[in-house]
Amino acid sequence: MDILLGLATVFSSPALLGWVVLAALVGMVVGAIPGLTASAAIAMLLPVTFYMEPLSALAFLYVIGKSGRYGGSIAAILFNTPGTAASAATQIDGYPLSQRGLSSKAMKVATVSSIIGDFTGELLLIAGVGVIAAIALKLGPPELFAIYVAAFVVIGSVIGKSVVKGLASAALGVLIQMIGTDPISAVERFTFGSYDMLNGIGLVPLMIGMFVLAEVLSQIENRGKTIEQYEEPSSDEARARNRLTWTEYKPCMPHVIRSSFIGAFIGMLPGLGSAIAAFVAYGEGKRRAKNSEDWGKGALEGVAAPEAANNAVSGPSMAPLLTLGIPGSTIGAILVGVFLIHGIQIGPTLFLTSRELVYSLFAAGLVGIAAYGLIGFYGAAFVGRFITRIPTDILYPLIFLTSFVAAYSSRGSLFDVWIMVVAGFFGWMMKKLDFNPAAFVIAFVLAGGAEETFRQSLLLSDHGLLIFVTRPVALGFLSLGVATVFLRARALSREARAAALEDA
Amino acid sequence: MDRRTFLQTTAMAGIAVSFAGAAAAEWKPRRPLNIIVPYKAGGGTDAYARAVSAAAADRLPVPVVIVNKPGASGMTGAIAASTAKPDGNTILLHSTGSFLFTSMLKETELSPFDGFQMIAQIGNLKVSLAVPAGSPIKSVQDLVDAAKASPGKLRWAHTGRGGRFHVTGQTFLNSLGLEAVDVPFKGGAAARAAVLGEQVDFAFLGIQQGRGFEDQMTRLAVVATDRDELAPNVPTFAELGFDVPLVSSPIILYARDGVDAEIISGIEAAMAEIVAAPEFAELVNAKGTLPLYRTGAEAAAAVQAMKDAATPVIDALKTN
Repeated sequence: MDILLGLATVFSSPALLGWVVLAALVGMVVGAIPGLTASAAIAMLLPVTFYMEPLSALAFLYVIGKSGRYGGSIAAILFNTPGTAASAATQIDGYPLSQRGLSSKAMKVATVSSIIGDFTGELLLIAGVGVIAAIALKLGPPELFAIYVAAFVVIGSVIGKSVVKGLASAALGVLIQMIGTDPISAVERFTFGSYDMLNGIGLVPLMIGMFVLAEVLSQIENRGKTIEQYEEPSSDEARARNRLTWTEYKPCMPHVIRSSFIGAFIGMLPGLGSAIAAFVAYGEGKRRAKNSEDWGKGALEGVAAPEAANNAVSGPSMAPLLTLGIPGSTIGAILVGVFLIHGIQIGPTLFLTSRELVYSLFAAGLVGIAAYGLIGFYGAAFVGRFITRIPTDILYPLIFLTSFVAAYSSRGSLFDVWIMVVAGFFGWMMKKLDFNPAAFVIAFVLAGGAEETFRQSLLLSDHGLLIFVTRPVALGFLSLGVATVFLRARALSREARAAALEDA
Repeated sequence: MDRRTFLQTTAMAGIAVSFAGAAAAEWKPRRPLNIIVPYKAGGGTDAYARAVSAAAADRLPVPVVIVNKPGASGMTGAIAASTAKPDGNTILLHSTGSFLFTSMLKETELSPFDGFQMIAQIGNLKVSLAVPAGSPIKSVQDLVDAAKASPGKLRWAHTGRGGRFHVTGQTFLNSLGLEAVDVPFKGGAAARAAVLGEQVDFAFLGIQQGRGFEDQMTRLAVVATDRDELAPNVPTFAELGFDVPLVSSPIILYARDGVDAEIISGIEAAMAEIVAAPEFAELVNAKGTLPLYRTGAEAAAAVQAMKDAATPVIDALKTN
């Protein structure tokens, strides 16, 4: 019962406990600020941890990663701007809820779902770290590609009025992702000889531009007009409306449980990460939901599913990291560095040499989940109430400034600021012309990894595309994606036929 | 082919370890020394920089600050260092094999020889050939036989076309007339995972990638003149009778053009002391690598020899 010993270690050290709680708070705040991602915060705080005890340092960064994934949902729900890529799926339903004055309720659903997802992932990790690592090794590029395909399906859920414009937006996202160095042949694509573009367009500045700056620009345009804002009738009534009851949360439970396992599975596979988990969970949730027509218009389930999935990634992604030294994410890569700086050799021998430390880290993870859960459940509602009271002519200039700071600070690059500005105008134009910024960003996030794994698979295969059919896990995820698209297409054509009949 | 001269130079540089303690007196830094690392925190080059920073704490009057500027295969950081104020307070630590090949392949304005002066070498990253532990291939000769038996069927992993692992591996295969399909992966850890998971038949990887994974992955040979101290069981290619150009990645500190020679020799002398410090060795050993000190001039000679040896390979890659 190593984990009980680990928990004892955590609770008997006030300093460690303090770091864990601080990390929960820091992660939430940076996650909630659009553009300031948990990985950026970890990179910035890394030098501080060199002077800490190894366990405190690792626990601090590990918990920031967890609560940062959760914190992203706050901005997604309140401002329609995902704080991190992982919460891009949360905004699909979170923001409509917020527009109806139910932001606190949406945030509570996000908090509870994140905690359940995170606990599921963490417990799976503690129970089967060895098994997870063994599975992770056997899954290669073909399986990863199949999961990307299943994740692409979520684009169908964000496409609103115009299917053609939605698909065009997604195609543009793919095109912009192609800028940079070709992942296989290392040939430069669309770089126009610029070094800055060699690494491609950064996701963080792009997202800040498309969502944050574009929103500010729309607000400037609508200046003078009465802003469509939900007026709180009275603070008591608003509070009552935002109370979350078990009857309301109950329909979310099946989605949360399914999404937790989807997230945990995707977490095992290095390189996919929480954003992909959230997209797959949202797509799969919508497909199975009884009220799938409400998804995208402000369904609580639509917040619960991606939030459970993106946090469930956290725990299992530690298994390949610790036992195989394969970092599944940026945060993971930084954690590897921390282990090494403290002289701890990652790899199969870690559980022999530093067993106590590893289980104490897992225990700190459990405590961290509880900490951000409590802070989030009671604090997020307060934050939500507070922010809606700030007048827009103060709020938006502040957001405008933050977007520049955030775009610069993620990599310390002025080029990224330009990207952000260009993306801002581009996103604003897209919205004006009824194109779809969300489809654009999702396609952008997924296309790079999908291309790389697809071409790796073809290099690994003796029989071309057959490699996807002969590997069962790959086949499973591919069929899931194809089935979803097929069902959606059939539903759409039935609606179109019904509409045509009505017209006649 | 200048391989022989190259061998001699490297051997000589290895033996000749110079100490230039007296020069240190003339370099009196008043502001923190910024070392730009053109890679993310947590990688091999970064580990060397962090070790310098830690070992410098008691040995330099100013702190050593590590600035990670990743991007464009290390070019982003190099550009930042080349445009810094030429006062010697901002210097670059680069993995020179990668720097050299990028500059040769893309014909960049900056290279280890253009825009920079070498201060000192503080380490070296070596290339090794690895197979999964369960593989029927047990030696380099087995690999050659397997590749001959089924040309174009074996798959091998590296960390990107045009990178030093790809260049080394491709040269090895070409020299024996072998055909195999290369599969690029992002980063050493991903390429290692492909070996551990038996997604590929073999891989060219940094020798330090095998540390701690001895039971899952067998390193068949290392590209070096001598066996690695941390992996004494892995023979060199030369020992086994295979002729592979000695491509490695010297970890070298650079100052931009325009920095005073006095400042450079001052930092050079300080590095000799830092690299010899026990805590420096301890920190880099944890990452599976070793300290290796060379003066700027020795490092430049070694890199020049490596450049000559790699030119035909790079030319072949460019025409493809």
